[in-house]
Amino acid sequence: MGRTRAVVLAVALAAALVLPFAAGPFWMGLATQMLIFGLLALSTDLLLGHAGLFSLCHASFFAVSAYTVAILQVRYGVPTALAAPAGLLLGTVLAAVFGLSVRTRGVYFILVTLALGYVIWGVAHRWSSFTGGDNGVTNVPFPGAGPLAIVSHTQYYYLVLAIVAICMLGYRVLVRSPFGLTLRGIKASESRMRSLGYRTGVHLYAAFVLSGALASFAGVLYVYYNRFVNPVSASFPISVEAVLMAIIGGSGTVIGPFLGSGIILGLRNWVSSFFELYAAVLGIVFIATVLWAPAGIMGIAGQLRARLGRTRTAPA
Amino acid sequence: MTSTILQAINGVSLAALLFLLASGFTLSFGLMRVVNMAHGAYYLLGGYIGLSVARATGSFALALVAGGLAVVVLGYLVDRFLLRRTGENHLAQVLLTVGVAFVIGDVALRIWGGDYLKVPVPVALRGATELPGGLVYPTYRLVLIALGAAVGVLLWILYRKTQIGAVVRAGVDDREQVAATGINVDRLFVMVSALASFLAGMAGVAGGAFLTLYPGAEWEILVYALVVVIVGGLGSLGGAMIGALIVGLLDAYGRWLLPEFSYFVLFAPMAVLLLVRPRGIAGKEA
Amino acid sequence: MTLVLFRSLVSIAALAALGAAPLANAQTGPIRIGLLPPLTGPLASPGKDMQDGFTLFWEQAKYTAGGRKVEIVTGDTTCNPDQALTQARRVVLQEKVHFMVGPLCGHEGPAVAQVSKETGVPLVMDAAGADNVTKWDRTPTVVRTAVSSSQIGHPWGEYLYKELGLRNVTFIAQDYTFGHEITLGAVRTFTALGGKVAKIIWNPVGTKDYGATIAGIPPDTDGVSAQVVGVDRLRLYEAWFNFGMDKKHKIYGGYWMHQDVLPQMDDRALNMIGNSLQYAAGLDTPENKAFTEAFARKYKRLPSWFAESAYTAGLWSKTAIDSINGKVEDRAAFLKAMRTVQIKAPRGPLKLDAYDNPIQNVYISRIQKIKHPVMGEVMVNVPVKTYTEVSQFWTWTPEEFLKMGPYKR
Repeated sequence: MGRTRAVVLAVALAAALVLPFAAGPFWMGLATQMLIFGLLALSTDLLLGHAGLFSLCHASFFAVSAYTVAILQVRYGVPTALAAPAGLLLGTVLAAVFGLSVRTRGVYFILVTLALGYVIWGVAHRWSSFTGGDNGVTNVPFPGAGPLAIVSHTQYYYLVLAIVAICMLGYRVLVRSPFGLTLRGIKASESRMRSLGYRTGVHLYAAFVLSGALASFAGVLYVYYNRFVNPVSASFPISVEAVLMAIIGGSGTVIGPFLGSGIILGLRNWVSSFFELYAAVLGIVFIATVLWAPAGIMGIAGQLRARLGRTRTAPA
Repeated sequence: MTSTILQAINGVSLAALLFLLASGFTLSFGLMRVVNMAHGAYYLLGGYIGLSVARATGSFALALVAGGLAVVVLGYLVDRFLLRRTGENHLAQVLLTVGVAFVIGDVALRIWGGDYLKVPVPVALRGATELPGGLVYPTYRLVLIALGAAVGVLLWILYRKTQIGAVVRAGVDDREQVAATGINVDRLFVMVSALASFLAGMAGVAGGAFLTLYPGAEWEILVYALVVVIVGGLGSLGGAMIGALIVGLLDAYGRWLLPEFSYFVLFAPMAVLLLVRPRGIAGKEA
Repeated sequence: MTLVLFRSLVSIAALAALGAAPLANAQTGPIRIGLLPPLTGPLASPGKDMQDGFTLFWEQAKYTAGGRKVEIVTGDTTCNPDQALTQARRVVLQEKVHFMVGPLCGHEGPAVAQVSKETGVPLVMDAAGADNVTKWDRTPTVVRTAVSSSQIGHPWGEYLYKELGLRNVTFIAQDYTFGHEITLGAVRTFTALGGKVAKIIWNPVGTKDYGATIAGIPPDTDGVSAQVVGVDRLRLYEAWFNFGMDKKHKIYGGYWMHQDVLPQMDDRALNMIGNSLQYAAGLDTPENKAFTEAFARKYKRLPSWFAESAYTAGLWSKTAIDSINGKVEDRAAFLKAMRTVQIKAPRGPLKLDAYDNPIQNVYISRIQKIKHPVMGEVMVNVPVKTYTEVSQFWTWTPEEFLKMGPYKR
């Protein structure tokens, strides 16, 4: 890893570690959210940035795992040690089912996943006898496993920070592995990969399930942060924003989705406090990204680095 | 029995509205390969502008036209300065148009506020009509069905029986060939796009008179329109008609018989259909 | 000479300012209140009333309480518990309010109460009716100044049976906490007297099309009771007449035609029963007359219960703050004051029961046209029957009621 990169990373890590003391509970809470939604964005990017599939249903896995944990802990008193894995499991099972959508491509894949996402949202919303409908499930406790119990938002922030860091490392390994290479090959040209003998359908399905599992993991982290879940977490805006975060930050990278998450959540929570038309601002950010920065922030950073690199190696 | 018939008419009236919105959307995709997620925002803006015009002039007809025209202008600007830059990159189109929809939605919120607003229906169309069999049904919705049918017939004639329609159909089939025959494809796109925008804006006024207009309506209606287009098949006008009927009826009966699963009733079949037959009932090959 | 004098005057002034600065500590800074209405979404109209009522009170009180200035921070909850939670956290953590007022929608109540519990910041629940909050799941930092959903449902069930003589009623209800509790509360008292429920038709908040509901009303019912909120109130109203139902059945508003939606209804609403509620704009008391006139003069419309409730919450909290000399930082003292002060609200006499919910009158009102001093000829909810001193437990003891468990669908 280049020296500038290492320095930047070290600074970022240091900032993340002192955040709760330097900036107070509001920003810490926001940072926790940025990490969690960044993870969700990362999960969609496994499909988008590496396999070329634009999924609009990832909020489903996010919500299903969140609801599972919430209902088990609040209504049935199941401890975290069982509830959290159960949430992760159920979300992944749903991804295995929804993974059938990889039978379609392009705009049809987008539309299928849109529909599937709405099915789950509809169930969460209308099956009120089980999910509580719009009331949702309140007062989800902090996670705790015997002596290792979280008792404050600050502790939870550090837990999330650690978990997300580990996920990012694991994700990095995955996308640099032969599996990741295959996916990117499929994204570049599926027919070519198939002619080379790769079973592209199986690879895409595996990618979908893995990405769903990661989204479910984000959901588990989410419900312990928010301590409340309702159908909003399964809604279309959540799915769309996850993908948008990845694109704005830089699709195909590991940091990109987190940068994008920071930008979008920052805009929403901070800009909205002093500027009313913040949704319009967000819309303009999307438009600008598409037109002028399709590779997102990371793309811009890359271009800057290239330009600086060029000036440094001055022509002879 | 009465309830069953009542629900059928409910379904058909929703279908009429959805057809107005979905027909433009599907033609845009079929001809120009454009996925325009701002179509719902067009509906909303057209509706709000029509609302203001109706309040100022007292004329519902004028409101319909004004709403439609306003969106034609907006749609042209979006096409010319924004969408054109995305080519056939569907991902970019979705993102761009979602951004446009966010902007339109927020501006509309500032101008018309957050409350539910109803486009005033002309006095002649208020109240109920007695149908054969002793059934009483809101007059406005019957008129809406008539409007949807009229537009459907007009579009069908235009599409199937006129030369322009033939060119559009050819363009939907094979754009390059059409361009190669010397036809100004760009101008064609602008016309079809304008028509789609007009219908969307008009649908907003028509829908705003019984579904009301409010922040968020643009996404709710877009989703329904998407289902119509998917079920019917992207690019097919006939598909849009069939799709609209299916979605309208499923929605009405689903809400009535299985209220706890009304969204499921709508989206699950759509998902299954897409998995089994991605191009929908009458769509082209992907 | 003048320069020296000028310079010394400036230095003295500067020193004085510096000296004064440390005195501007937390105890004399402004009191910040977080208001949480739904300004967009299906209950935007009641939300606006809530904001307007609250603003009117503080304008009249010149934005002071306990000798300190009062600042109001607003967060739009959109009538969704998720947004309500986010906004509550924002006003507490970022805007650092001393206490919160709101939310409005029933199901937002528990979500915002959760934030109050997490952060210890007091919540004056001025509208949300969720029964739970003052019964099974009480939070020490939450005080309700409005009404508990089923509190207005119980007398309504009795009114249906005894005064209207109905025996086989269809209930049109909303499928969320408030809707469940207000409807099932009425169902409980109605059936206890011997009444039969023909059907309960549940609709989610923001139902676009009441055609399906209308089609589902059983033909043999002898009366329809409407419990609808927000924009659904208008949609049901129009659907009722558009489908010709007014010729087949009679419909009564258990919770329907509040003052904020009346201007959008026409003369067909006249003489209909509008509500069973702890407030009616047509209530003839000096406090209410003063309130409605001031509201009408400022906003050119008459206040609904959402406006009155917010106004009263302002009055209530100011009275409490005054009684503790403005020390809202002492949360325990503030809450104790909220629980013990007595006020005369526009809607009548109010006092909190042991479970932090008001004991108050419930008025059954009928829509009538009156000549208002400010508004002129206007349709208004006028009380035709008053149930006095209604508690959230109706005629049961708290223990009996709690044992029965919450109203669930």
